[in-house]
Amino acid sequence: MSQSARRPRRSEMRAGPFSVAMNLPALLCLSLVLAYPIAYAAYLSVHEVNLRHLRTGEFPWAGLANFTRLFDDSVFWLSLRHTFVFALVSVALEVVIALAIALVVDDERVWIARVTRALILLPWAVPPIVNGLLWSFIFHAQYGYLNRALHAAGFIDEYVNWLGSPGLAMGAVITAYVWRTTPFNILLYHAALQGIPGELYEAADVDGASAWQRFWSITLPLLLPVVAVSLVLRTTFAFMVFDEILSITQGGPGNATWVAAWYTYRISFQPPFNIGLGAASAWVLALIVGGISLVYVRALYRRVAL
Amino acid sequence: MARAPGRLSRAGRVGLWLANLAAIAFLVAPLVPVVLGSLHAEKALQQNVRSLLVSPREFTAANYRLILSGGAARGPIFEQVTYLPKSVERFPSAFLNSLLVGFAVTVATLAIASLSAYTIARLGLRWTQALLRMSVASRMIPLIVLMVPLYVMFRSYGLLNSLWGVIAAEIGFLIPYAVLILTPYFASLPSELEDAARIDGCTRFTAFLRVLLPLSTPGLAACGVILFVISWHELLIPLIVVSRPEFMTLPVVLAGLVSDYFVFFTLMMAICLLGLLPTVVLVMLLRKYIVRGLVAGALKG
Repeated sequence: MSQSARRPRRSEMRAGPFSVAMNLPALLCLSLVLAYPIAYAAYLSVHEVNLRHLRTGEFPWAGLANFTRLFDDSVFWLSLRHTFVFALVSVALEVVIALAIALVVDDERVWIARVTRALILLPWAVPPIVNGLLWSFIFHAQYGYLNRALHAAGFIDEYVNWLGSPGLAMGAVITAYVWRTTPFNILLYHAALQGIPGELYEAADVDGASAWQRFWSITLPLLLPVVAVSLVLRTTFAFMVFDEILSITQGGPGNATWVAAWYTYRISFQPPFNIGLGAASAWVLALIVGGISLVYVRALYRRVAL
Repeated sequence: MARAPGRLSRAGRVGLWLANLAAIAFLVAPLVPVVLGSLHAEKALQQNVRSLLVSPREFTAANYRLILSGGAARGPIFEQVTYLPKSVERFPSAFLNSLLVGFAVTVATLAIASLSAYTIARLGLRWTQALLRMSVASRMIPLIVLMVPLYVMFRSYGLLNSLWGVIAAEIGFLIPYAVLILTPYFASLPSELEDAARIDGCTRFTAFLRVLLPLSTPGLAACGVILFVISWHELLIPLIVVSRPEFMTLPVVLAGLVSDYFVFFTLMMAICLLGLLPTVVLVMLLRKYIVRGLVAGALKG
């Protein structure tokens, strides 16, 4: 058979135009729902936009007034600080708990490990808003199950008002959030553990390495790339936490659990409905998240690549 | 994969069992109060603030009957109650709205994203590779950042208070993620069959449609379930786009319980349980597929 007969049909599109056509629907959607809104948010952030302006459809130029107002607002700085604390603590917990559970589940010499493995995705499947509501019930001072259980076990005599004091309330929100989001990390680490060749462990065994040494010099270094990925993903998601704040504390008590996403939501969509200011704070949040992921990607991937 | 070598000592076996039990407790325990609470009358909860309420004799299905009937079947427990949260009445229609949005978003996102993923996985052009990196980056845009401008845009296009607005926003938000899940899946399939089909006269597009897509059913299913779950969970988009009760999705109706200080906790837990049931059952049934999809979406980017 001659070479030309094996070639695909001549009427066919070339790869370039074909891939443009195939990507057209996605690019259209993304520009309408992602790219344009981000640019539009920048536009809104330098204009005065509230309910009255929305009705007339005319947004007066505001220059950097929204940003100066934002940076003068002590609640904004407070929200940012809470967001950093929230992200730091929750990401650390997610990584440590997930690593522990992934290691436990990876050892198949007891049959119950298969049961544990089957349940990993359970918290991930719970809707965030339901997660918040169920933890607000658990933490409820009078009727909640945490106080019931602690009392039954004899740890407390007086009921603890978990959601009533600032420090405890932040802890409660972090607990609820970490419970829902840890399974994702367990999955990633578990998949990475399965990818480690068994020969490495056999070799270590021949050399008489202890379990601790095996973990420290084989498992952990090989897990590092995946841990790096999970750090980037989990940190960016922690910066977006909203559902659990809304359903457990609504930012309270006082403004002890105001975080950045909550600040933007409250400013834009509840009185005072200041969408211009909301857009400004949204942009600042996006820049922070972008900056953090950039730093992460540079620092971690370089080290991991070595 | 029994990677740690040799047999376990008795102490090691006990330790491993305890560790597994602790892990299971972590994963399951927070759901126990939901089940127990939902099976009680509010009176039992209030009279007995120290008991764990585990006696089956006190269980009642009254909360579920009330919700599933949309507030009609009150029964003896709710007969005297003068106030019922709006969420009870809105539950049935919200459930349907959530299903509708979930299916529409899943099907549309799969269709659009698979076209893109195919070009990235098979053609290897430089700009399609850049598309993949863009998908990774766009996953890091906080949703609230999009919602402020989208609200203003939807307001002027008349998309507020419609399921169309919710569906459009969710599709746009989910396409990058679907591309990230599908691209490595397509790339993992051998391309020989498509090559053979093209020699037999198929165009690139028909080879994709008739050869690759049927081969990809497991990957598409995994991605589809993940998309449906995310859509079912989505609160912020419908919360901001929709304010009329008839278009509310389930998370919005559930969020309505938050500021309601008179709501019964037992009733709230029953609504919560019904709200989490669809995705929990789906995820538990299709666990293996979903795991593969989630891992691919996170690591291959």
